[in-house]
Amino acid sequence: MRLALLLACAAAAFAQPRYDIVIQRGHVMDPANKIDGVMDVAIANGKVARVAASIPAAEARKVIDAQGLYVTPGLIDLHAHVYGYSGSILPDDSALPAGTTTIVDAGGAGWRTFDDMLERVIRPSRTRVYSLLNIVGHGMVGQTFEDNVEDMDPAKTAAKIAERRASIVGIKVAHFGGYGWVALDRAIEAGNLSKTPVMVDDKIFTISGRTSKEKLLTKLRPGDLHTHVFNDRQLEVVDRFTGKLQPYVQQARERGVLFDLGHGGGSFLWPVASQALKQGFFPDTISTDLHSSSIMMAESDMPNCISKMLNLGMPLYEAILRSTVNPAKAIHHFPEHGTLSEGSVADVAVFALRKGVFAYKDAWSHKALGNQKLECVLTIRNGEEVFDRDGRGFPEWTKAGKYEVIP
Amino acid sequence: MTRRELLALAAAAPLAAQDVYDLLLKGAHVIDPKNRRNGIMDIAIGGGKIRKIGSAIPAAHSRRVVELGGFYVTPGLIDISGNFGSSGGVNPDHNSLRAGVTTVVDSVSVNAGSLAAFQRDVAAHAKTRVLAYWNGPNPPAARGKQTDIVIDVPAPRSFADAKGGELREGEILTHIYGPTPLPASARRKGVTLDVGHGASSFYFRTAVPAIRAGLLPDTISTAMDRKSLLLPRANMTNVLSKFLAMGLTLDQVIERSTVNAARAIRRPDLGSLEEGAPADIAALELRTGEFGLLDSGHAKLTANKELRCILTVRNGAVAWDSEGLSLTHWRDAGPYSNFK
Repeated sequence: MRLALLLACAAAAFAQPRYDIVIQRGHVMDPANKIDGVMDVAIANGKVARVAASIPAAEARKVIDAQGLYVTPGLIDLHAHVYGYSGSILPDDSALPAGTTTIVDAGGAGWRTFDDMLERVIRPSRTRVYSLLNIVGHGMVGQTFEDNVEDMDPAKTAAKIAERRASIVGIKVAHFGGYGWVALDRAIEAGNLSKTPVMVDDKIFTISGRTSKEKLLTKLRPGDLHTHVFNDRQLEVVDRFTGKLQPYVQQARERGVLFDLGHGGGSFLWPVASQALKQGFFPDTISTDLHSSSIMMAESDMPNCISKMLNLGMPLYEAILRSTVNPAKAIHHFPEHGTLSEGSVADVAVFALRKGVFAYKDAWSHKALGNQKLECVLTIRNGEEVFDRDGRGFPEWTKAGKYEVIP
Repeated sequence: MTRRELLALAAAAPLAAQDVYDLLLKGAHVIDPKNRRNGIMDIAIGGGKIRKIGSAIPAAHSRRVVELGGFYVTPGLIDISGNFGSSGGVNPDHNSLRAGVTTVVDSVSVNAGSLAAFQRDVAAHAKTRVLAYWNGPNPPAARGKQTDIVIDVPAPRSFADAKGGELREGEILTHIYGPTPLPASARRKGVTLDVGHGASSFYFRTAVPAIRAGLLPDTISTAMDRKSLLLPRANMTNVLSKFLAMGLTLDQVIERSTVNAARAIRRPDLGSLEEGAPADIAALELRTGEFGLLDSGHAKLTANKELRCILTVRNGAVAWDSEGLSLTHWRDAGPYSNFK
């Protein structure tokens, strides 16, 4: 009797593969678990079920051969624009084909407009979308709004964060054209009230009454982020005349201030980035600042931003760390996101690292040439294949029978 | 020389002067089916327009020279169907210009209630030329109204949409390689047969036998929407690659995405390379290797060639340049300044 039951169970197990997808033979890079080698990854019920040296194909409904490719946690883009701003992009058609499964909107919405963003962007998107809430109540809708100190209300901002904690991960202060520290002070006050990080996107003029040094060493708290790290109009990471890394940048890092790439249409400049990386300064997080202009000429999607870092000397493992674990930690969602740990939501990206000669463009449409290029070939979001450039997960049409949609 | 002679000479000089070009595309294999151009040629651009098409235009006459040896250059492609609407559609620049498409025609979004929003939120922001079919009663043309956007052609219909009714001459029959083969009765004289790939309207198991039997499309369009851009990634170069893999020649697929498309939407001013016309141009690379092309049912055709857009010129300006061919290396760019 017991044997019969056992046999029945075994038969059932055989008939019903236990995994939905197994990705075989890829080079897995999962910095959270210190994995950096050829492994198989199994996915079941939307979760990562197992990462092991060998998982039999027979246990999977679908097998994806990733030999010669890299398998990483779905990337987290800490700085993009998907709401409010007139140059906003659609998360799904921009993020998912780039291997980005989590996108953080940097200040598109403020406390007055966030619920509209929730309804119109966050809920309908297959990409996971978070918000850094703008300290400006109306959000990122133009300079006059962004300069209006009257609309920067720390209490109302913190209250909205408390109400929508599942989707709001921090605060953005951006583009303030007025004098002094009032915008940043209010953002940090809201950050203290809501216990969330602040991301700064600044303007520095000789008449602004603000300096990089004072900002980094006295204003920002540990865990706060300065984005646009290679835009020397915002943050003079390397001295404009000598090219030397500023000592206060290292001091700020020791205090726990984080530096974010935030490529964008105006914030990645080859002379600045190449000087900084040459001196060993890597941004803590790699992000795109993706919007309608940076997506075209500068092509600032995640694989391109990572490729630029690789060609400036950052090892791939470090770049993946800075696109998964580090951004997850920065928004206080680690280890929930950014890993391939068993039991975590199955957000997975598969990349090819091509060799050749490739052009990479900065924000001012000047190029550099590099000899490697990271390209996303397949993306899994919530356990489902959502992008598959080369059809690795699907059969030849001649062997597919009378199909409508092949799962 | 008298003062009068000097003045006369100065006045005459501009007439005799050689054009200075803004951009010179050099050494590409030009395919321009309407004008039967098919060979290595140079294209000079100035003031947003094509100034000259010919052999060996001197590099010295242009501010910027792009060497395109080994690539194909075609008129900017025309995608005659897709959803580019302000709610639910996709962004034309991000998904079309990057695939060599300089003109798109929205097929589902525009009617009396939505035209103003479409104009404001989509067309006005796009670098791509955005046109639209009218979806509703009383099209502007029937009321004697002209708009920059709405074209005077009925929106493409599928055989199922026509509900057995006949399409009239000048109409576009789309989704011709859907889940089931098109009945022979669907083909009519003067009706354009269009691909309209989309998320549910292109199947290899229909298209491969149909093409073998001689049912070629007149126009190749993507019918792109948010769904079809992820799986099966049906942008213009992807759809053209599928037709190359099924046996059409490069000339045939370019003809069906340029001059034929222009004819179908009754815009004979588009879809070819004409001196004096706005410079809308695509540069394409025919890559060899192993490529998996997915259909709407997510079945794969493994191909050994794939078409990729490397550079797009729209209105004379480089709008997409994946290889950085038109750009200066940063070390040669001089000091960076705040002023572009």
